[in-house]
Amino acid sequence: MKALFRLLILAIYLFLMAPLIFVVISSFGDAAMLAFPPRNFSLRWYGQISPELLDALWVSLQAAAATAAIATLLGVWIAFAVARGRGAFPALLKGLSIAPLSVPHLAIGVALYQATMLSWDFSGVQLAGTFWGLVLGQSVIAVPYVVRGTLAGHAHIDPRAEEAALSLGASRWRALFAVTLPAIRPGLVSGAFLAFLASFDDVPVALFMGGGENSTTFPLQVLASLEYSLKPDIMALSTLIIVASVVLMAILDRLFGLERFLHGRSAG
Amino acid sequence: MRSRRRRFRPDRNDALGIGWNGPAIPGLVLLAAGFVVPMLLLVGYSVLHDGTNGQVKGPITAVNYIAIVTDPLYLRVLGNTVLLGVVVTFICACLAYPLAYFLVRSRSRWRGSLMFLMITPLMISSVIRNIGWFPILGDNGAINVVLLAMGLISRPLPLVNNLTGVVIALVHALLPFMTLMLIAVIQAIHPEIEEAARMLGANPWRSFWEVVFPLSRRGLAAGCALVFSIAVSSYTTPTILGGGRVLVMATFIAQQIQSVLRYSFGSALTIVLFVVALSLSLLSARWLERRDA
Repeated sequence: MKALFRLLILAIYLFLMAPLIFVVISSFGDAAMLAFPPRNFSLRWYGQISPELLDALWVSLQAAAATAAIATLLGVWIAFAVARGRGAFPALLKGLSIAPLSVPHLAIGVALYQATMLSWDFSGVQLAGTFWGLVLGQSVIAVPYVVRGTLAGHAHIDPRAEEAALSLGASRWRALFAVTLPAIRPGLVSGAFLAFLASFDDVPVALFMGGGENSTTFPLQVLASLEYSLKPDIMALSTLIIVASVVLMAILDRLFGLERFLHGRSAG
Repeated sequence: MRSRRRRFRPDRNDALGIGWNGPAIPGLVLLAAGFVVPMLLLVGYSVLHDGTNGQVKGPITAVNYIAIVTDPLYLRVLGNTVLLGVVVTFICACLAYPLAYFLVRSRSRWRGSLMFLMITPLMISSVIRNIGWFPILGDNGAINVVLLAMGLISRPLPLVNNLTGVVIALVHALLPFMTLMLIAVIQAIHPEIEEAARMLGANPWRSFWEVVFPLSRRGLAAGCALVFSIAVSSYTTPTILGGGRVLVMATFIAQQIQSVLRYSFGSALTIVLFVVALSLSLLSARWLERRDA
């Protein structure tokens, strides 16, 4: 019974790891088409990653960095207002900033696309298909992660620490940066990381808001190339991304503990 | 000299006395312009109808919604989507229970690493996870190569470019979510309760059904609601593993808006998808209320 249970757990883990392992395995073949098992071990495809894929990865990284920066800058202050603001504003902000999590991202993409088409008719400014249009859409889906992460940090702030800083002569802003922000830093980092990930992983918003010259992200480029065939260079680049992701996760786990990151993630 | 004394407000958890509402306004503007206004526009578009060349015309009408619930083609897309959601949610629950139970109760020194491994797929781009299924499930993939070599099948099993592949990849993508939800509730169950059940003669199977399962249904309900809502609205996985042959709500919406330019009809489909995605969370909330009452 116990052995059977262990076998089941092992099988589930094999299932969880399988697609990642097979991306790595098939990146080392040397045939032009994917085949299993790969015939000869070769690093050939690592040297022949198509420029379109690399460009798309670069766009993805830029968009994810911009999205994480915007979502974090705006989200931190939203969380402050939710935790400490006055009147009805905090309740409104809280509901509004978490809402994009429970709306399918495809709906957000479609809605934003139509809104930008309408504003194009009126103002002549075209956002869909541009880099900043893409970042706008991805920021909407990223803000909830930052707000949630930061709010979790607010629960741990000891108000006496702020009072102590003030009574020792610190200005309000100095106290904010020296006492309050460090206290919420773990939540902030996890929020910013999840915001980056929300953008890097995003397809449904990019599908409508991206696709232009500077807004064709890595996932969009992969989707486009799938219409022909799955070339091994995609596997080679994907392997590099997997390795980078795992290293980043290990670092964050060491610094902050991954448990913190678990609750926020949600994607389609 | 500036006075350093500030009024102490024990109720506010805030000694700094900064006007906190003001700095949040840029964030509010982003959410209003990028979320609220577009969503309202979406609702507005959905109750108009499509003219030619992507024009949306009045007057206000329910014609789109009536078409969605009466036309057999649209009903089939809706049915496929719900079926996909139900199947994926059910399989996820079946696999997540043993996994979550193991991760909570295990005293193995590898527990931390196994937890890390369980989360890893969540942090890897979904497109990469999806294409990783082709060398496994494709006609020349590992499973078919092995089965053919063993002589168990005479031609490759069709495991990708159909609903089977979509189900497998979605279960893979969503299993960690369900597992995390179950871990949260199973952690709260004292091992002593299970021990008591076993000392009273219950076998592990019975102690699971009569102790762990009832005490974890809150997490199960939350997990099912989350997994179902992501599964029915997923676009990436049905596109990649469906090979253009699997029409679910999300792929259908993208097609209607981007290729056919039926903005109004696409908007109505999107609203319907939203309602379907939320349906299970509403149902499960009612179910829990009834059980707790």
